[in-house]
Amino acid sequence: MLEVQGVSTRYGQISMLRNVSVALGEGEIACLLGPNGAGKTTLIRTIVGIVRPVAGSILFRGERIDGLKADQIVKRGIGVVPEGRRIFPKMTVEENLRMGAYADWGTREVESRLEQIFDRFPRLRERRRQIAATMSGGEQAMLAIGRALMGRPKLLLLDEPSLGLSPLLVEQIFEMIQAINRQGTTVFLVEQNARKTLALAHHGYLLQKGEIVGAGTAAELGESDIVRHAYLRA
Amino acid sequence: MGGLIGVWAVELGLFVLVVAALLAERPIAVGLTVAAIALLLVAVQTSVRVWGWMATSFRTHRAAALGGAATLALALPFFLRASPYWTFVATMALLYVTIGQGLNLQMGTAGVINLAGAAFAGLGGYTVGLLTVRLGFAPWLAFAIGPLVAMVVGALLFIPILKVRGHYLALVTIAFGFIFNILMNNLEFTGGPQGIKNIPTLRLFGHAFTTAPTLFGVTLPSHANFYYAALAMAALVTWLAWRLYNSWVGLTLNTLRDDEIAAKCSGVSVTRHKLLAFSIGNLFVGLAGGFYAVMVGFVSPPDFDFGYSLVMLSVIILGGLDSIPGVVLGACLLIPLPERFRMLHEYRLLLYGAAIVLMLLFRPRGLWPAGVRRYGLGRPAGSFGAAGTRAEGVGVSR
Repeated sequence: MLEVQGVSTRYGQISMLRNVSVALGEGEIACLLGPNGAGKTTLIRTIVGIVRPVAGSILFRGERIDGLKADQIVKRGIGVVPEGRRIFPKMTVEENLRMGAYADWGTREVESRLEQIFDRFPRLRERRRQIAATMSGGEQAMLAIGRALMGRPKLLLLDEPSLGLSPLLVEQIFEMIQAINRQGTTVFLVEQNARKTLALAHHGYLLQKGEIVGAGTAAELGESDIVRHAYLRA
Repeated sequence: MGGLIGVWAVELGLFVLVVAALLAERPIAVGLTVAAIALLLVAVQTSVRVWGWMATSFRTHRAAALGGAATLALALPFFLRASPYWTFVATMALLYVTIGQGLNLQMGTAGVINLAGAAFAGLGGYTVGLLTVRLGFAPWLAFAIGPLVAMVVGALLFIPILKVRGHYLALVTIAFGFIFNILMNNLEFTGGPQGIKNIPTLRLFGHAFTTAPTLFGVTLPSHANFYYAALAMAALVTWLAWRLYNSWVGLTLNTLRDDEIAAKCSGVSVTRHKLLAFSIGNLFVGLAGGFYAVMVGFVSPPDFDFGYSLVMLSVIILGGLDSIPGVVLGACLLIPLPERFRMLHEYRLLLYGAAIVLMLLFRPRGLWPAGVRRYGLGRPAGSFGAAGTRAEGVGVSR
C-alpha cells in the first residue's frame, strides 16, 4: 500500500530524516514510535507532500508520489489527521467536515458521507453549526478524525491523535481507530503512547533522531530493550 | 405583513435620521441627531426582544429589506441636492465599500494581510490618469484598464508575499505602499508631487458626468452622476463578493486563514487560492482607485499615502472581518462621520480613536459579524453562483 524507501529530508542545513524506510500492507495498522523531535511529524509531512524529500522515493499503491503536491497526493486517497489536530478553528463543525471531502466538493456523495460521519460521531451532529474552536479537546479530536474520513481515504495517517486527551478519551480514540481499520482502511499511527499503540498495531517502527532504529511486529517491538527502556519503563 | 411594514419603517426611520444628521447646520443639531441614532442602535442591541423581532423580520423579508434599502440609496441624492459636498462624501463612502469588499476578501476571508490598499487604489488611479492625459486614451477604456494594472502588479508582489506570513507579510505590504508613494513623488512621467491634472471625466451616452443631471424634473448637483455610478459599482462588487463568499471558493479561502497546514492536508492548493483572493481583491481596490481619478480629475501622491491604507483597514475591522454586510456598514459609518465632525477640528481624531477602542472592547468581531453559512437547504443542484464551475452540486446559502 505505502512504501517509503530510503527517504531523507533537510531543513536548511539541518538533516531531519536520514534514510528512512517504512512499508505498510493493505488493511494493516502500523505504528511509528519515537520521542519528541525524532522526526515523526516530518515523516508524515513528507508522505503528504508538504515537505520534499532530498533523497529516496515514496510509493503509494505502486505509484510514485514523492514530488507531487499535497493536494494531488491527498486526492489519491491519503487522509491525514495532522499533529495537534489542526481543525479549522473559526469554521463550523460542518464546514470542517465538508473540507475533508474537498476533492469531491458539491457532489451528492458528500452529503451521504456527512450523514455517515454524523452517525459515527453523534456529538458532531449536535454541534453541526458550532464554531469548531469552542468545542472540547475530545470533540476536536473526533472532528479531526471525521474530517480525514470524509475524503474516504484508503490510507489514514494519524499524527498523535491522543495528544492532550484524558485517559478515557484516549481509550475511545483508540477504539475508533480500530473500528475504522476493521472497515478496511489502512492506518499509519504516529504515537508516543507506546503501550496502547503496540496493543493496537500489527507492526511498527521506532524513530530516533531521524533514523529508524527498530522495526518489527508489535510483539517484537514490545519485547525489545530499546522500547522497554525508553517507553514502557519496564 | 406586520413584519414587512416594520422592516420598511425601521429603514425609513434610520434614513430620515441619517439625512437629518448630514444636513443639520448647527453643531448642537448635529450632536443631537447623531446621539439619537447612536442611542437607538444601543437600545435595539441591548433589548433582546426588539433585537429578536428585527432579526426575524429582516430574515423573513430579506428581498423587501434589500429593495427598501436600494430605494433609499437611490433617493439619497434628492435629499442631499442642496449640498454637492455631502453628495461627494456619500460617493466616497461607496468607493470605500468597493475597496472594503476587495480588502475583506484578502484579509477577512483568506487571511492574506494587505496594508497597501492605498497603493493598489493608487495604481488604478494613476493608470487612468497616465493613459488619458499622457496617451490620450478614452476615459472609459482607461477606467477598464486601471484595475487590471492593480491586479497584475499585485500578482508580481505575490512572489515575495508567498514566502512570508503574519507580521512579516504586513511589513512587506507596508513597504510596497511606501515604495509606490516614493516612486510617484519622484518619477518625471507621473508628474512628481504635482500629480496628474485635468483627467477627463466619464461620459455615458453623450452625457458628461460633470454636467448637472435632471431627474424627474429635479436638478441634482453634478456629483450625483458619480454617486449613481459608484452605487452601481459598489452594489455589483458587493454582490460578487457575496456570491464568492457563499461558494466553495469562499470556504476554501477561509481554510487558508484558519490553518494552512490543515488546508494542505485537505487537498487545498494554497498558492493558487491565495493568488486568487489577492488578485480579485486588488481588482476591486484598483477599480475604486480608477473611479476616484475620473471623479476628482486629479491624482497626486498624498491621495494614496499610508494613512488611507489604515482607513481602509479600519473600515473592515469596524464592520467585522469576513463579513460582507459588515464592510458596507463600516464604510457608511467611517467615511461620513469624520466629515460630519469637522467642526471639532483635530479633536475628532480623539473620537475616532475612542470609537475604535470601544469597538475592540465590546464588539471585537465587528458591528455586523459574519454569520454562519447554511448548506444544501432546498437549493437546486449546481447553484454555486459566481464560482460555479463544478456541476451537480448542492447549493450554499444563508
